[in-house]
Amino acid sequence: MSQLESRLIDRTVPDIPLQLSDGRRLHLSDLWREHPLLVTFFYRRCTGICTPFLEGVRDATRRSGGLGSDYRVLALSFDDADSAEDVRAQAAALGLLGSPDWDFAVTDREALGRITGALDFWYRYDPARRQIEHNAMIVGIDGGRVVRALVAGGGEGGRMRELVWELRGSFIPIYAVPGQTPLSCFTFDAATGETRLDWGMLLLTLPALAALIAALGVFYLGGRLRRVRPEIDTAKAWITSHH
Amino acid sequence: MRKANSYTLYWMGITFLLFPVLAILGIYMRTVQAGGLAGSLTWFYPMMTLHGVGMVGVWYVAAMACAADILSRYTEPSPAVRGLALFGTLVGVLILLVSAFLGKFAAGWYFLYPLPFKGEWPVWSAVAFLLSLTILGATWLLWSLDLLRAIAVKYSITHALGWHYLAGRSEPEIPPSIMIITVSLIAGVAALVAGVIVLVLFYLELFTGAPSDALLMKNFTFFFGHTIVNLAMYLGVAAAYEVLPQYAGRPWKSNRIVAISWNTVLLIVLFAYFHHLYMDFVQPGTLQYIGQIASYASAIPAAVVTIFGALLLVYRARMRWNLASLLFFLGLIGWAIGGMGAVIDSTISANVRLHNTLWVPAHFHTYMLAGLVFLVFAYFYHCSQEAAAEPERPGLQKLVSFLMVAGAYGFFLMFYLSGAYSVPRRFAIYPAELAHGGTFSAIAAVFATVFLIGFFIYLSETGRRWYKALQTAS
Repeated sequence: MSQLESRLIDRTVPDIPLQLSDGRRLHLSDLWREHPLLVTFFYRRCTGICTPFLEGVRDATRRSGGLGSDYRVLALSFDDADSAEDVRAQAAALGLLGSPDWDFAVTDREALGRITGALDFWYRYDPARRQIEHNAMIVGIDGGRVVRALVAGGGEGGRMRELVWELRGSFIPIYAVPGQTPLSCFTFDAATGETRLDWGMLLLTLPALAALIAALGVFYLGGRLRRVRPEIDTAKAWITSHH
Repeated sequence: MRKANSYTLYWMGITFLLFPVLAILGIYMRTVQAGGLAGSLTWFYPMMTLHGVGMVGVWYVAAMACAADILSRYTEPSPAVRGLALFGTLVGVLILLVSAFLGKFAAGWYFLYPLPFKGEWPVWSAVAFLLSLTILGATWLLWSLDLLRAIAVKYSITHALGWHYLAGRSEPEIPPSIMIITVSLIAGVAALVAGVIVLVLFYLELFTGAPSDALLMKNFTFFFGHTIVNLAMYLGVAAAYEVLPQYAGRPWKSNRIVAISWNTVLLIVLFAYFHHLYMDFVQPGTLQYIGQIASYASAIPAAVVTIFGALLLVYRARMRWNLASLLFFLGLIGWAIGGMGAVIDSTISANVRLHNTLWVPAHFHTYMLAGLVFLVFAYFYHCSQEAAAEPERPGLQKLVSFLMVAGAYGFFLMFYLSGAYSVPRRFAIYPAELAHGGTFSAIAAVFATVFLIGFFIYLSETGRRWYKALQTAS
């Protein structure tokens, strides 16, 4: 878990107004009141990661289970030029139009500023490319608070499944720090929900093994010395007597 | 009259110098908690760190010095390694003092990862602290291996661990102190290797920026810290097995029960530290249960066998009570009382209530101060008196014992009461809701001062003999 991800945990999410792709108007709290909510950001004209990222989230939520029964997904456009028609087109492109478990929505500029500010979601318009530079984020929200967030590349299997586990109400005791800690005590298998021993725990046996080897080695050498000692003493005595 | 070993006398000198300084730091902390010395508040945590590391280190080396001295009655520890241990310890302590007094390093004696890198102290003071522990750990590891070598030159491993008693044979006769020291040194090597690993992981982060797994670091830290403290206690108990019979006029021999209890310690003691991680919900429940069972199994058999043996030894014996025999007996009682506290602390259902209160310092101060310290003081007095053969003053020696016992137990009682009234540990000052914590602290400081007065009279008694013994030391 990155520093950004950990500082988002338990943060309050503003209850902004939304217009869904089917034209309905409601508040974010209307969605999280029924089920925990997985919120992700995109914009329709993105030529970069938005569509592949949404596809990744779609596939990961299908694999992880619990979608619809335990949580729902909201894909919110962060481009205030997007309309309800635009986000409907995005839903259709992903094959999610009419899905009861997914909502695609837009909101006004002020509300957008509030929610992206609260979630530290970064984006900036680049006039040269006529594109919006932004990061990729998935946020799990339960009762109006952030349960866990995945920033940049959260669509991949393991971490996404962990997030889904938490949205389903399971406690995840261990968060891996990807690529940073070579030796951990335990890992959490998000596919099965089990905690497993990792190499770090094996390392904990090293002191006992070292002590055992040291003790056996020292006593082995001591034993050899005991066996040759009479001969050494005899030799010493012979040297002394011949002096 | 037996000539004292000069290295044992040097260790005694170092202990007599460092202990009162570190004890005064303890009194300083209780005074700050009581609302006094408010201007020196910024020193509270550096001094807490120094007091903790210093006390653990001083009493570990003091107990090792006793063990080395006992071994020298049966075999030959290397004088060169004893000298190196002394030199390495002095260098380590010096660097530790620099880290605390000049760098204000204040991560506590657990130095739990990643706190040493996250505090307000300069990075160099954290490096100095780690360097100090590296020197101390490496030196003590070498010392432990040499003492094991000295045992191995005379005894086979099966005899040193008393396995022939387990097989029903009583020959060759192995002094119980040899058995206990062997067990303690083997487990001590494991603890020191754990310390080396945790330091390597600290250095890895320091020099490469690769962070470590916090749970792994905590496991290693307590593998090292808990086990070292436990073994220091066992080495003190070995001194009681060795010397107390001389005052009782009866032998205290090894037998099957003694061998079973101390071999159980060797098997189990390395798992007991898990009880320090009860608060860590990430640690799987299985390991927590192992921690509770291992804590019971590593403490109860050895303690019960030893206490029962000591009572039988003293019961209706023609005891020669002097400062040594009194303190040995009181030390075993302190071990039993503190041990009960430790067993309660290692019980999961009790620990969840008591873990973050002053009840925890209460139990470890009990077995350290009224247990290990008394046992080591007893051995130190015994060695000095054996070499100096000075006339003894029974009245004064009873007064010393009384002052130290009254001061120590009054001091512990304030910790226990604080814990019972939910006063948290590691607080420099208490908020208004916990004002009773300040009152307990003030009374504790008074009792600690009474203990120190007793200690200084002890020092005058033992110091005179120590000086005389130094003149004739081998």
